[in-house]
Amino acid sequence: MRDRPRFRVGTAGVVVDLPGQEQEILSNLLSQLRDLVMVDHDPTLRRLKPPAHPGDEEAEAGYREMVDDQLLRGRLESIERVESGLGGTTLDEGDTAAWMHTLNSMRLILGERLVLEGADLEAHDLGEGTTGALYEWLGALLEQLVGAAGAAEGGQPTR
Amino acid sequence: MTAPLTTRDPKIDSTEDLSRPWKVIVWDDPINLMSYVAYVFRKLFGFSEEKAHRLMLEVHNDGRAVVTSGPKEKAEMDVFRLHEHGLWATMEHDS
Repeated sequence: MRDRPRFRVGTAGVVVDLPGQEQEILSNLLSQLRDLVMVDHDPTLRRLKPPAHPGDEEAEAGYREMVDDQLLRGRLESIERVESGLGGTTLDEGDTAAWMHTLNSMRLILGERLVLEGADLEAHDLGEGTTGALYEWLGALLEQLVGAAGAAEGGQPTR
Repeated sequence: MTAPLTTRDPKIDSTEDLSRPWKVIVWDDPINLMSYVAYVFRKLFGFSEEKAHRLMLEVHNDGRAVVTSGPKEKAEMDVFRLHEHGLWATMEHDS
């Protein structure tokens, strides 16, 4: 990712410019993410729904009832927004949030999977597999998007 | 602009101590990027860059940080927004 930036600041917001191959990988991951959040029984999803009230079952049940549908709806809407901009787009504020949420959700799921497979994320020991490579790549994408979004708010075009 | 006062009997929950606010806590995790966490703090709570960065480092170094506090409904909303962004947030009663 040292070559051209995938996210840069344009005059109207953050510009998305992904190579074709990366569009395909993301498109594939987006479908998987949608299936996972809709089916809702994968152990790695734990990380997308942390408890608000650990140690208080009743309060936690109330919280889950209040937010779970909304969390799911928001995640599905965000996935759709990202899908529609994969080929290149300029992100408004809502799009930027959707891209961040979605890239981060994917990282959380892949990170949980890595931990289940025995990786040590603290020590940055991700193993040799594809999951670790995808996890790192998504991290680099998110880092770049956060940088571009911060610069866009400060009104600084980047190249 | 407030609603007119009514004289209906208030339902008072004796377990709820209104004088003690709720604290919203963000916990350290090995997955979320430091830059992302600081960005989310700024975005959600309108913190300055300096304050967001300091809180993010507190989470990273101490394992947790109190990011906001207030009445239960507000704390619950803050936790929800943090969860939307994939952060590990919980709430507890101030002691």
